[in-house]
Amino acid sequence: MKTILLLLLLSATAARAVDQPARGQEPAAPGKDTCCEAMANATFTRNSLYQAEAAFTTDAGRAFTLGELRGRPVVLAMFFASCGYACPLIVSDIQAIRAKLPAGIRDRAAFVLVSFDSIRDTPAALANYRAQRSLDSQWVLLHGSDDSVRELAALLGVKFKREADGAFSHSNLITVLNPQGEIVHQRAGLTGGLDEATTALIAASR
Amino acid sequence: MDARKNTMSTTPLFRLGALALSLLAGVVLPGSPLSTLNPQPATGMVLIPAGNYVPLLRTTKDAAAVPVAAFLLDELPVTNAEFLAFVTANPKWRRSQVSGLFADSSYLGHWTGDLEPGPQAPDGAPVVHVSWFAARAYARWAGKRLPATAEWELAAAAGYTQPDGRTDEALKRDLYAWLARPVPAILADAATGRPNYFGVRGLHGLVWEWVDDFNTAMVTGESRADSGLDRDLFCGAGSVGAKDTTDYAAFMRQALRSSLKANNTTSSLGFRCARDATASTP
Repeated sequence: MKTILLLLLLSATAARAVDQPARGQEPAAPGKDTCCEAMANATFTRNSLYQAEAAFTTDAGRAFTLGELRGRPVVLAMFFASCGYACPLIVSDIQAIRAKLPAGIRDRAAFVLVSFDSIRDTPAALANYRAQRSLDSQWVLLHGSDDSVRELAALLGVKFKREADGAFSHSNLITVLNPQGEIVHQRAGLTGGLDEATTALIAASR
Repeated sequence: MDARKNTMSTTPLFRLGALALSLLAGVVLPGSPLSTLNPQPATGMVLIPAGNYVPLLRTTKDAAAVPVAAFLLDELPVTNAEFLAFVTANPKWRRSQVSGLFADSSYLGHWTGDLEPGPQAPDGAPVVHVSWFAARAYARWAGKRLPATAEWELAAAAGYTQPDGRTDEALKRDLYAWLARPVPAILADAATGRPNYFGVRGLHGLVWEWVDDFNTAMVTGESRADSGLDRDLFCGAGSVGAKDTTDYAAFMRQALRSSLKANNTTSSLGFRCARDATASTP
């Protein structure tokens, strides 16, 4: 009896989860030639992640909201700099996606890494990471408060947990956003799927 | 528009009371000039003393018990009337205007209209069909936050008459009777719940409740999300490692949290708010 209740509960939520990306899209915001009038949520589309209020800081110490990425194709992942296993692979995979892109798209795309580790991954620590990994200016490295990180993770469907030793368990997800900031593709796991992610990014950039 | 006005609690007497409580609980951060009592009123909130949360499931890296600082928790889950005040003040959270990103299509689906809860949603009943994003936005608007899993579970571990509910037969009886009943079409008034040891009502027996870090629950059956889970602890002999295998309701809560997406809403999922017992001034 109780098991049946539980199954019902779970299947109801699971069924709902599937229909999320299917919601209607509103027309793209007018005037996307200028990126930076951070004025208005109203100009973001209904499914745009850029509606989120989460505030971040770049590794250069500048305040940053995701809406600043509007107009660019984006590859985004959450990570933490002291991660010894999955995160280096994720960064390499994003580099591999980048290498597969045609020059016209590659040159205007943004590659975004947002840290789970609001304590240790200070902007300075992220600047360090940028130098170590030789990440150029198309890479955006972001530090956020616990609150902002949790909100973004919820939007992406990323689960994460700070362990007692300060490391993080986390979903391994690479997310592709179109120029409106809508999720068009997610690569889950650590193997395969790079061609699909690249194809989705190219399609979304046209 | 940003915060509810509450008149009651600005009296000096109230502040003194809160100070005394905080001192008793040992929660005033020592030596920090930034640490002050939260200036917001705590009407309708209950102080949960510091304690240890023993996670139901742990990874190899997890501590056996997580210390939880004293905090304030709403005595009652947020009601339809309270949520109505929130959506009235914040049009973007009305049913017709919310983005599907932040709430799925059944958001406030039992309400009659945008600003009319209607007969399925009595004023005093817990609001349900709310997403995690909406619950969080409400909490922020109210000058509060959602409780963490550890906080919620610590408060909910209490029995009616003692801090440890595991030996409270009356609580267990009520809890399992609730789990066996279908969710009623019209929920009972939030204030009808019998208060637990701390004076909190409705943690069990009314609705499930969102927690801020619901997305730390990693057991999903999806391989992508199961990283870090110690299967030896979870499966087979490992279930001995679960805090208490007889705590069936805790397994259900864990399963529910791990199955949810942040924009999901259901007819049996509501929330209540929490607040630090102390707050830092900006």
